[in-house]
Amino acid sequence: MKQEVIVAENLVKKYVTKKRKGLLRGEKQVVEALRGVSFKIYRGEIVGLLGPNGAGKTTTVKIISTLLIPDSGDAWVMGHHVVREAKRVREKIGIMLTVEKGFYNKLTGRENLEYFAALYGLSGEERRRRVEYLLKLVGLEELGSSDRLFEEYSLGMKARLGFARALLRDPPVLLLDEPTLGLDPPSSRRIRELVKKLAHEEGKTILYTTHNMFEAEIVCDRILLINKGRIVAEGTPDELKNMIPRLKTINIVVKGDQRVGELIKSLGIEKYEAKPIDGLLSIRINIQKPEEILDPLIKNFVGNGYEIVSLKIEEPTLEDVFIYFAGKTSR
Amino acid sequence: MSRLSLFLNVLWAESYALFTEIFRRKHILIMMSLYPYMLLVFILIIGYSVGSRQVFIQRLGVAPEIFFLASGYLLMVVLGSSDDLLWRPLYDDWLGITPYLIISPVPRLYRFLAVPLPRLVIALITGLTSLLPLMIWYYGFYGLIESLAVIVMTLVATIVFVPFIMAVIGVIYTYGKEQWRVLNILRPLLLILLGVYYPRFLMPLGAYIASALVPPSHVVEAVQRLLIGRLDLTYSLMLFGAAIGLFIAYIPAGVYSISLWERNKLKHGVKTE
Repeated sequence: MKQEVIVAENLVKKYVTKKRKGLLRGEKQVVEALRGVSFKIYRGEIVGLLGPNGAGKTTTVKIISTLLIPDSGDAWVMGHHVVREAKRVREKIGIMLTVEKGFYNKLTGRENLEYFAALYGLSGEERRRRVEYLLKLVGLEELGSSDRLFEEYSLGMKARLGFARALLRDPPVLLLDEPTLGLDPPSSRRIRELVKKLAHEEGKTILYTTHNMFEAEIVCDRILLINKGRIVAEGTPDELKNMIPRLKTINIVVKGDQRVGELIKSLGIEKYEAKPIDGLLSIRINIQKPEEILDPLIKNFVGNGYEIVSLKIEEPTLEDVFIYFAGKTSR
Repeated sequence: MSRLSLFLNVLWAESYALFTEIFRRKHILIMMSLYPYMLLVFILIIGYSVGSRQVFIQRLGVAPEIFFLASGYLLMVVLGSSDDLLWRPLYDDWLGITPYLIISPVPRLYRFLAVPLPRLVIALITGLTSLLPLMIWYYGFYGLIESLAVIVMTLVATIVFVPFIMAVIGVIYTYGKEQWRVLNILRPLLLILLGVYYPRFLMPLGAYIASALVPPSHVVEAVQRLLIGRLDLTYSLMLFGAAIGLFIAYIPAGVYSISLWERNKLKHGVKTE
């Protein structure tokens, strides 16, 4: 039976901001950051919280990490309530909230980790060993950057150090808020690999926010799509793709007569795009089950004297899924 | 993990961060040693322009160089540490480390106590390099004893200030919306209430009462009385008793005030960017 590690039930959070109107006057504005977010994350899972800027990703992570009290709703981490038992929750989590900041500029990466290790209760030899291990794990030792000042670090190095800090206490739960934002490809890849390893080999439970669809698809076991403070869909990347009506695209490039309308319509396809490119014709047909029409389509073209230059079936991307659901919630 | 080991850990962390930074930026250390002398020169220039050295000695019974060097040292250490504490939450926010401190298992009181303690080592060093040689030069062996007494009293003044500062931090950050400008108003006010440059016994009654509520002001008075040779044992015990009593009395207020601010912070969300 799957063990529930993070549970959120109907989380609601509103922020009150003040909009300046002239020198002395101001107008209060209420921003609804979360409008009833519920989800469950099981042990050893990497769950992506995917959404655009302002969707409520960071607010959700802050609530789970006990850094923000929700207006209503509840959340638990390993059975501990995030408001009533915040102290117990904090013992179980490792957080990584921003890449650029969060360390002392005038200390080296190693010194910064030693500082936080001491704050997190590690002492003596245990602290030194853990810091040494983590510097190696995230690749800072390999880059020769462990003993450089934090202010001299590149964004990628800062992210690696932030990731190492999240692991200082070897917590069973990791909350990572856009951990690869703005990073160079090697650093992003390193962090993604580590995330997968920690979840799948060590059984850590990871909540991973991102607005990078590609990343969500390759890292996460399951994805929660969040938009305007609501979870609009959830499932594995494949399950999500199967949820949207327009699923696949047949992209066929042919050589021959440019008037293909009748030929395609004879297969019962009403909607398609045809564009001439360098004397060829590129045709895009959006359809749920391309395998059903592929054979007659090819036969039709070939039978009518067309030469097929290329034929590709494009799978929908998570971006398509996201745009579909985002469109639904905004209506 | 026991409370003691938690405190020792946070003390180690704060000491490590401070000493690593100071020894890396040695000019800070040099400036800290020179600072009491710089203040002394500045005050003496102003003092000599309005009166003579002899009048000062006649009235107070102490050389102005000694009085103001000791005052400058006292001020630097006590206000330096309180500044450090007052600005620390804003500095933590600016660095982006507040969320990581909040999720650490260390109680807030421990951290606020641990922040000034390593600075006391620096204060000790600057006391030994500034106050001690001048007082030995002026008063010989008695100067050595007196300078050590002033240094120890200064360290006590710094420690007894902590819960009071915590109470102030909680209140001004909760109701002052974490505005650093509020601190700039607070600093000169504390400077006056401490009575370092304007002795407490010369203050009007209202200011005297307000000053008496600030724990280190009692120690400051003790230092001043020691320097002018008017400190007897009973009165000194009374002053230290008042300072320590206020230190203990402010602990719950400080802890409550900080937790109030933290709750307020969690309600609005800890800044993470």
